[in-house]
Amino acid sequence: MYLIDMLAISPQESWNGKAYLNNIRIVSGNKLMAIEPDYGDIIKPSQLRRMGKALRMGIGCGAELMKRNEELDGIIIGTSEGGLEGCISFLNQIVDYDEGTLTPTNFIQGTPNLVAGHLALISGNSGYNITHVNGGLSFENALTDALMLFAEGKAERLLVGNVEEISDYNFNIGYLAGLYKGEDSLSSGLIGSATPGTLAGEGSAMFVFGRSKQPDSLRLVDVACISYPTKEELSKLICRTLEGKGVSSSDIDAVIAGYSGDSRSDFWYDDITNELFPGASVYTYKNLVGEYPSSSAFALKLGFDLLRGDSVPAEIVKKETGRPLRNVLIYNHYRAKQHSLILISGDFSPEKDSSP
Amino acid sequence: MDKEALKSELKVHLVKYLNILDYKPEDIADDMPLFGEGLALDSIDSLELIVMLEREYGIKITNPADGRKILTNIEAMADYIMEHKKE
Repeated sequence: MYLIDMLAISPQESWNGKAYLNNIRIVSGNKLMAIEPDYGDIIKPSQLRRMGKALRMGIGCGAELMKRNEELDGIIIGTSEGGLEGCISFLNQIVDYDEGTLTPTNFIQGTPNLVAGHLALISGNSGYNITHVNGGLSFENALTDALMLFAEGKAERLLVGNVEEISDYNFNIGYLAGLYKGEDSLSSGLIGSATPGTLAGEGSAMFVFGRSKQPDSLRLVDVACISYPTKEELSKLICRTLEGKGVSSSDIDAVIAGYSGDSRSDFWYDDITNELFPGASVYTYKNLVGEYPSSSAFALKLGFDLLRGDSVPAEIVKKETGRPLRNVLIYNHYRAKQHSLILISGDFSPEKDSSP
Repeated sequence: MDKEALKSELKVHLVKYLNILDYKPEDIADDMPLFGEGLALDSIDSLELIVMLEREYGIKITNPADGRKILTNIEAMADYIMEHKKE
């Protein structure tokens, strides 16, 4: 499938296209909070006041893209937690008010499918509408869904995206569980950190994909996922995925790897990039946006930006070979349990396979 | 609490519970309609207001017809609270 348009809200200044690549924002502390745009032209004030951050970010990106790209056949969202803050507030109310009368807003806010549903209501889109909720593979499942719809000829254009927010309550649980760094941290020092834990992140990235190839359009070639693999199983999946698309590991010019700075699980990225892609550049992205279950959506935006020929900021370079970018593989895992691959290409030559 | 103080408190609760962005409590007139014109609240807001009355003042509105009269404006809400808190 082919990229038509995209937008992202993240801890970087990514709302305004690719400018963030020239001005990487460094954050101190263990939360990388998303920078929200002025929603004034996108969301009515009467709706905005009732929205939590996840919904604001999702609607902000999605509604703007739907305004720019009419006639979409469906909306596919991937989110692990959805409106987590609203959900937790609602659950706390049940306890605090002894299961008495509860406010409806937090209940509405707490459902993961609210972003996709709200986008449909705002735009009047009555097409395919689904939210994939599957932890660290939620966004990848959304992409797979879109690939299948295009392959079956059931859609011509789709909105696909993710949303995730940092909830204070959930962050504290994660912190106590050792998911986040305890020491004072700078996002610039995340990669290569010798300590356990990572930095929490949040954001939304939305994409409009089309089934048909447009001149110079970038391509999302394939997506693959695996849970709890051994290294051998993961390596086999990578080779099989690439072979299935007529690509060899030496054709991969860069790997965008989900290094999170967690000394307990970053070895996966070292092993895969060193053993399978010794000739490829290696770039990182979680030092820009932090760790969250659907963070690969931001990696995809970054990958497309780099394929469009933007200079690679020094902050994301783990290894640079100087090869021009044509085929980029995004490899990410979430807490070393759910692993995913997204293959994208800026190869404008004729198709090597017939799938969309 | 006298009625004027109650009305001021209600306005603060209104802004807080409904997360109203374009009005400060002091901008809300006592007779400003809550629904339709004025604050232009909607049906979800009415449920939030019913929850607010129960939590802050211990008043339960069980009859929807009552709610329509009580939630007209700040003045009507204050009257209802003053009347029913005595019970």
